[in-house]
Amino acid sequence: MPRTITRTSPYWIDNPARVRAVQAAMAERGIDVYLGTRPRTLSFILDAFCPWRSYLLIPITGDPVLFTFIVDAARVGDETWLPQDNVRAYAPMGGQDQMSVISSCIMDEFGVAKGRLGVEDGISTYTPEGNLSHYEWLGLEAALPGWKLVNAHDIIDGLSFIKDAGTIARFREASRIVDVGQKAAREALEHGGWKGMTETEIAGIAALAMRRAGSLSEWNFAGLNEISSGYRTGLGACTPPTAREFKAGEPLMLDFHSMFMLALGDHSHNYLIGPASPRLRRHADNFVDLVSTVLDHYKEGATPSSLATVMMDRAEALGCADFLLPGCEHGIGLFGDEWRIGRADEGPFPYWTNPDHEYKAGELLICAMQYAAPDEGVGFRYENPILIGKDGCEALSKFPLAIEEIE
Amino acid sequence: MEGQLAYLGKEWRDAGEALLQAELDPGKMNGVSTSMADIYEACPGGGEKYLYLECAGGKVTRFETGEGESPAAEFSIRGSYETFAAITRGELSSQRALMTGKLKLRGNMAKAIRLAPLADRINKVLARVPTAY
Repeated sequence: MPRTITRTSPYWIDNPARVRAVQAAMAERGIDVYLGTRPRTLSFILDAFCPWRSYLLIPITGDPVLFTFIVDAARVGDETWLPQDNVRAYAPMGGQDQMSVISSCIMDEFGVAKGRLGVEDGISTYTPEGNLSHYEWLGLEAALPGWKLVNAHDIIDGLSFIKDAGTIARFREASRIVDVGQKAAREALEHGGWKGMTETEIAGIAALAMRRAGSLSEWNFAGLNEISSGYRTGLGACTPPTAREFKAGEPLMLDFHSMFMLALGDHSHNYLIGPASPRLRRHADNFVDLVSTVLDHYKEGATPSSLATVMMDRAEALGCADFLLPGCEHGIGLFGDEWRIGRADEGPFPYWTNPDHEYKAGELLICAMQYAAPDEGVGFRYENPILIGKDGCEALSKFPLAIEEIE
Repeated sequence: MEGQLAYLGKEWRDAGEALLQAELDPGKMNGVSTSMADIYEACPGGGEKYLYLECAGGKVTRFETGEGESPAAEFSIRGSYETFAAITRGELSSQRALMTGKLKLRGNMAKAIRLAPLADRINKVLARVPTAY
């Protein structure tokens, strides 16, 4: 589908302005060319879905040049704002391997014989983070004599932190779509619909509803739509659906993901398949209370640490502190941008969420809370993209916070 | 051999150009506008030679051979004289030469891959020039 978005669209993102901002930061840092390899960087600059290993070269002036796997180059060229000639391919052919096309573009086309090449390096919990590999680093050093590679991912990270209006509008739409998925799942489960149904089946029902509503992908790397039922709800935070059938008296966790124009919907909702025992109901009520309490405290100036304190204090009061997993959020941005909060180098553990990061208005994150009592075969998860404001936050998914009992 | 034209020489170029203009159907060339330079390394007698071809609207508008630096082209393909000769003789496909690194392409591969069938058509026409390598 050729790119058709215009400046009048609520989803418009000024990508050329993003490039200019990157170039200004490069100039300040003495970086002559920036080489982006992370999906988050590709999404942020290209405004196109770019899943294969790709190399985005940003010169100090002018448009970037992308090299991506030959099988997908034409499609990416069709969807990005970059001129078609700036979207190119690499391939296992003479002069067209990754190192050859990158070095040729830098030295011959950009005309920079030597200098500083900003690259993206680091560590992540997220497998497809896309940092430059050791092999690539050595290959570039060999192909670019006279060049010094410097880690500069923080340029993109800093610029992508506060979301612009177009990005926020896209996230609102992605969340609306997730709500369509949650509604479809609710309708499929009720009136005994859950009987004989499996985790994979409800994942598919939601996926179909979300696709019909405009989603392009259940983007999540940890299992697309993550579903758990029964004892599996108490196993942790990432649960790809299985063929397990739902059973009466068990909890059910539905964590749905949508993607709209690279913005990511991510809402996790929980149910009890009736009849629920008083103990199960108590766990559920505790969790809803905790989520509600934490959501009330997100605002500019709050920190992950302060939110964790709010959460744990309330959990102590409810008598359920033993069941809470640490932390109550993770980062989010356009496709590929998931996980840590704060800059990579500002916290006590590099590349992890900085517990003292002060939220600012315009930041988006996922409020993500996990409650697990594995010995009782019970767990719940809440996730919802929230937009930080001066005095509070906006929860983008509007599906009502509750843990209903489904008969 | 008698009647054969020296590969990349002036007479070979003239014959090649005449064949290209007579036999390439602009419609089948998809109205393409591009330019391509083949750079021949290790030529007999030493040095480099080039073959430069330019198309506009699917028609060959410029076809040159020579020594030294070629005119600037959208795509350049560099390889040994023997490799190019083997391709022209039909002994080696240009795709295999690229895949094995015997030829090195510079230019937008995403576009080049779409032009590959057209390049094959050009090569087939040039292969009909009686050539002494």
